[in-house]
Amino acid sequence: MTEAARPTLLDVVGIEVRYGAIRALKSVTFNVGEGEIVALLGANGAGKTTTQKTVSGMLRPTTGYVAFDGARIDGIPAHDVIRLGICHVPEGRHVFPRMTVAENLEMGAFRFRDVDKKEFERVLELFPRLRERLKQQAGTLSGGEQQMLAIGRALMGKPRLLLLDEPSMGLAPLVVAQIFEIIKEINASGVTVLLVEQNAAQALALAHRGYVLETGEIVLGGTGQELLADDRVRAAYLGEEIAAS
Amino acid sequence: MTTLETPPTTTPTPPPPPPAMRRAGNETSRVLLKRLAGCLIGGFVLGLMVNSKEGSPDDFGFVFHQTALKPRMLIFLAIGVVIFAGITFWGYLRQHARRPGVRPLGMGILVIVVSQVVLNWYDPQTVKFNGLRKLVDKSSGLSSTTTWFFDWLSWTLVALSVVVTGAAIVTRRRVFGWVTTVLGIAGAVLAWTAHSDVLDLGGGIDHSLGAYGDVIGFLILAGAGATVALSQAEVADSRGFMTRVMEYRPGLPFAVLGAVLAAFSYARNCWFAPVNRNLDFAKTHDAYQGTDINSLASNYLGWLGWVCFVVVAVLTLAATYLRQRLLGWLAAGAALVATVLTFFSLKSMTDVAAKSVPQFGKSWNNLGAGGFTACISYGLFAAAAAYVIARPKTRAAGKSATLPVSRALEKARNSANMKALIVIALAVALFYPPMLSQYWQNVLVTQMAVYLLLAVGLNVVVGWAGLLDLGYIAFYAVGAYTTAYLTGSLPRKPPSWLHMTPLLTIPFAIVACLIAGVLLGAPTLRLRGDYLAIVTLGFGEIIQIVAQNNPGNFTNGPRGVEPPVPHPKLEIGGWKITWGLDNLPYWYLLLVMLAIVVVLFYRLENSRLGRAWAAIREDEVAAQASGVNTVRAKLLAFAIGASTSALAGTFFASQTGFFDPTQFDIFTSILIVAYVVFGGMGSLPGAMAGAAVLTWLPEFLKSQVPTDDRQMWVGALVLAMMIFRPAGLLPAKRRKAELSHLDEASPGEVSAIPRGGAM
Repeated sequence: MTEAARPTLLDVVGIEVRYGAIRALKSVTFNVGEGEIVALLGANGAGKTTTQKTVSGMLRPTTGYVAFDGARIDGIPAHDVIRLGICHVPEGRHVFPRMTVAENLEMGAFRFRDVDKKEFERVLELFPRLRERLKQQAGTLSGGEQQMLAIGRALMGKPRLLLLDEPSMGLAPLVVAQIFEIIKEINASGVTVLLVEQNAAQALALAHRGYVLETGEIVLGGTGQELLADDRVRAAYLGEEIAAS
Repeated sequence: MTTLETPPTTTPTPPPPPPAMRRAGNETSRVLLKRLAGCLIGGFVLGLMVNSKEGSPDDFGFVFHQTALKPRMLIFLAIGVVIFAGITFWGYLRQHARRPGVRPLGMGILVIVVSQVVLNWYDPQTVKFNGLRKLVDKSSGLSSTTTWFFDWLSWTLVALSVVVTGAAIVTRRRVFGWVTTVLGIAGAVLAWTAHSDVLDLGGGIDHSLGAYGDVIGFLILAGAGATVALSQAEVADSRGFMTRVMEYRPGLPFAVLGAVLAAFSYARNCWFAPVNRNLDFAKTHDAYQGTDINSLASNYLGWLGWVCFVVVAVLTLAATYLRQRLLGWLAAGAALVATVLTFFSLKSMTDVAAKSVPQFGKSWNNLGAGGFTACISYGLFAAAAAYVIARPKTRAAGKSATLPVSRALEKARNSANMKALIVIALAVALFYPPMLSQYWQNVLVTQMAVYLLLAVGLNVVVGWAGLLDLGYIAFYAVGAYTTAYLTGSLPRKPPSWLHMTPLLTIPFAIVACLIAGVLLGAPTLRLRGDYLAIVTLGFGEIIQIVAQNNPGNFTNGPRGVEPPVPHPKLEIGGWKITWGLDNLPYWYLLLVMLAIVVVLFYRLENSRLGRAWAAIREDEVAAQASGVNTVRAKLLAFAIGASTSALAGTFFASQTGFFDPTQFDIFTSILIVAYVVFGGMGSLPGAMAGAAVLTWLPEFLKSQVPTDDRQMWVGALVLAMMIFRPAGLLPAKRRKAELSHLDEASPGEVSAIPRGGAM
């Protein structure tokens, strides 16, 4: 197994999350190793976003726990979780529309007293498009640029673990490929990535490992290649054998 | 730079609408008919609005009949037709409407129309332009030009200016602009002389604004003519023009304005107003001959005043013209010295007057506007000097036009603007109120002052944190009642060690409001937008009803506080200040409070917390994901806003002495929100300007329109404002972008709302 080589960075053990009476997560257990890209797959409503929000501290599990780097973090509020080095790029490109691109990036470094100029430069090297538009209002960017900005803003928080929620949503295939390429680059620079995706084929091609969520439970786990080869995954998410189920 | 010869840039004609949406010929005429009917109805309603007849409250039909069937209604119907024509032929007009000179022309006409229709012209008879025309026709002894002016000349001049300027613009014969300039100057001179003529004949003390408004309006017309004649540009660029003027000699316009104002003050204004007499500077000197006035004031009236004026004016003009920083410092210093000299001369003048002739009243009650005008003009000089002092060093480097340098220039220019504005605002706030009548001083303190503070506080909650709080008045009530309790004005007395004077209660009132703010904030913070608004609305009602119901005999219920809350007192060492029934000292007390609050808030806006608020307002999820503690930031917004209203509550309680729960009703809450929105949400100067304008206007209109109508006029203004300037009077930068979607930094971006789409 490849994962044995990597020390575990994030441990999610048996978490149950409720929205009032609704049990969004029944019992979810998975782990993410240091330096990995792990993909969470699943249909709409399977609980992928809920899982990520629980990790980032926006939601609390009713049972189970989340551990980061050997310490329990469930119950710590979101603005403190970010201090540990877990940066979250929420679903749907939440940029600050009336702030300029530069101001958006500076907001990403909100947890630090000052903006790290080197980090700023690094983000701009990663996203050259943003450099051209530093003075422009974020709301006027295209969808792909906004997604890049959202990722760049999260990177300004110097994450050890980057939570990406559907970075490919509503983007043209070419832009998706571009973004996935950048995720690979970010990962190569030493940032662990937990990726939530519906775009299973591309996500699994990129990820070291993946998990499949179904109605609040992990039903399948394995390396990217294993999952890509799995019949159930092919049937459910790649749409190859529509009749089978 | 486009020249006159090039044709106006035309956009390519858009393709025709799809067949289903194309209008058939008769449908077009139906649209036109509808539009005409709408415009005529609009004109008719306007005619009803500016009816000068006081209606009897139980016979509206008669009043309607009186107004609707008078020939003057034709004028308003004609206005409707003009509007109709304007809308219908807008496609043709718009290519000319953006030419230079059009906007000043419109503004000039607006000012003249307002002066000649709305404003008073002669106070002893309380008449407007039209009323004065009738008086002038009846009286003899006026020069013929005066009668002509009132009869037909002024309106003819306006009409001629419009026709000539319009022709000049449309036919592109710029020379005709000079004709308008001559007409405008002639109109200004005629208005001035006609009004002086009436004053000379009629006598009496006159504070009416009509003639001054008229003069200003005609001067604007003259300026419009000059603009048409001189401007080379195809499209008007007033901002660029202002920038060029300020770049030519920074501060020079302020210096010139200051010089004009100071000259007017020393040469013409009243400096000393004993009963029923107005004495100008020279006559005041004669009046004080032989009194026991001290040597400073006597010298000031004799020669020192003129020397102050000349020295400061020459220094400032030289500094602005030569752009010498050292001279700028000298000019600012001289302005300060001149202000101090003027102030102490005024003080000894009024002391002597109050002591020797008791019927003059108390100190400071017997001075004319002159001395204070002089002080304000020194403020203008200082503002001009501030430009010279803040001059960016990189003027030569600026020509290379690289981005960082031009940004630095822009920053320097902004900071110079800011400094100058602060100096002027301070000069006006310090020296304008003493010139006001007792009535206006009362309005200033009881209305404007309190609401200024409240608007600044609410701006934190609504403008910065983006939380719509409709129950803001509740905190104000908490502050006022805390002060009343601690000064022993409620049935329940505080323990004797807690009994204190009003100013000392401020920290306690702030703490009480902080607690109230957290109490309201903590359970409601999960709510957003409309829901939060409704909950705060309820909170406001609860506080008022609790105060009414007098639980535990604490608030004394609807009877209000008794005994009255004492007036504030301040003792620092041997130095003692007491406030009493006089309004003016309260204004200065408020000014100190406001200054402290504004400086603190200004720093807050640019702090970490300010950025957190901006982030929450923009996108709460993203703010949370960026590590903003949203709960804490929102609670702080509530608490800080609440503590500002505590300050206002203390001020209000100790100034009026008496208050009861009805003063904290929902209407007032909504008024404050209106002030903030009108002024510009999220902008500190905007909130203040909004509160100032909207408290001033209803009081001003009291003497200008029938009292029943004035809320309608205020409403009309607010409506017009929201249509044409939705971001507010002095909008915050970001809010402006939010509403217009037009950002200079994003050229080529297609915005969702077309230009001018606000209508």
